Amino acid sequence: MDIQVTQTGGVTLVVPQGDLDMGTADHVKRMLTELIAKGQSKLVMDLTGVSYVDSSGLGALVAAMKQARAVGGNLKLCGLQDDVRSIFEMTRLIKVMAVHSDRQEAVSSW
Amino acid sequence: MTTDTLVITSESRQLARVRVWLGEQLARRGVDAHTQSALQVAVGELATNSIKHAYGGRAGEPIHISVASRDDGVVIQVEDFGRPFDPSGYRQPDLSEMNESGVGLYIVKRLADEFSFDLARERGTRWTLVKYQPGAKPNRTA
Repeated sequence: MDIQVTQTGGVTLVVPQGDLDMGTADHVKRMLTELIAKGQSKLVMDLTGVSYVDSSGLGALVAAMKQARAVGGNLKLCGLQDDVRSIFEMTRLIKVMAVHSDRQEAVSSW
Repeated sequence: MTTDTLVITSESRQLARVRVWLGEQLARRGVDAHTQSALQVAVGELATNSIKHAYGGRAGEPIHISVASRDDGVVIQVEDFGRPFDPSGYRQPDLSEMNESGVGLYIVKRLADEFSFDLARERGTRWTLVKYQPGAKPNRTA
């Protein structure tokens, strides 16, 4: 999975490309953990390029969100494709995670 | 009933292959794109379960995935030959909590119309899920 990371103001924008499954979840989780450890805990992840998320992927995002919140930040999401959004709705994560319609809205929400 | 089977080994990189193969099989059977995506997630969860739990992360072990057509829909089976699923250890996830794990089988249950497992075998678990064609799901509440 390719992941682009960009600093914009005080917000770190993370843009993964590919499927978020058991094979990539650890990589994503590790990368987010490293960013938070470096003090970049105001995170926005744009999932526009992710067409598949399973429970392993959800677990990585929830873990990172908890880590970020513990230090005063958060992991905000945007750009969820319909099939991805339905998994977030099914597991009710849509209610507890900060989910925005697009990147601009998510970044400016900080 | 036409049945097609894919045999993979128990590595996470095989999951993408499963998704592609399953998508082709379902498209060939006239399953719509949204349902294909849902079943790709469900089967991915079961294969992940086999890799993580039945084989404990051990690579090179077999997982069989089959798709069968029938008049009212499709039947998909995922079969491993490792440690059997222990239903007594399964807890329905509390969705009011932010779960980092334990929601895989819950997702499968939600995506399938029928979902069962078979432990009456020498080794492993065979999971079966059924997805009906639109309008073909039997009404069992009557």
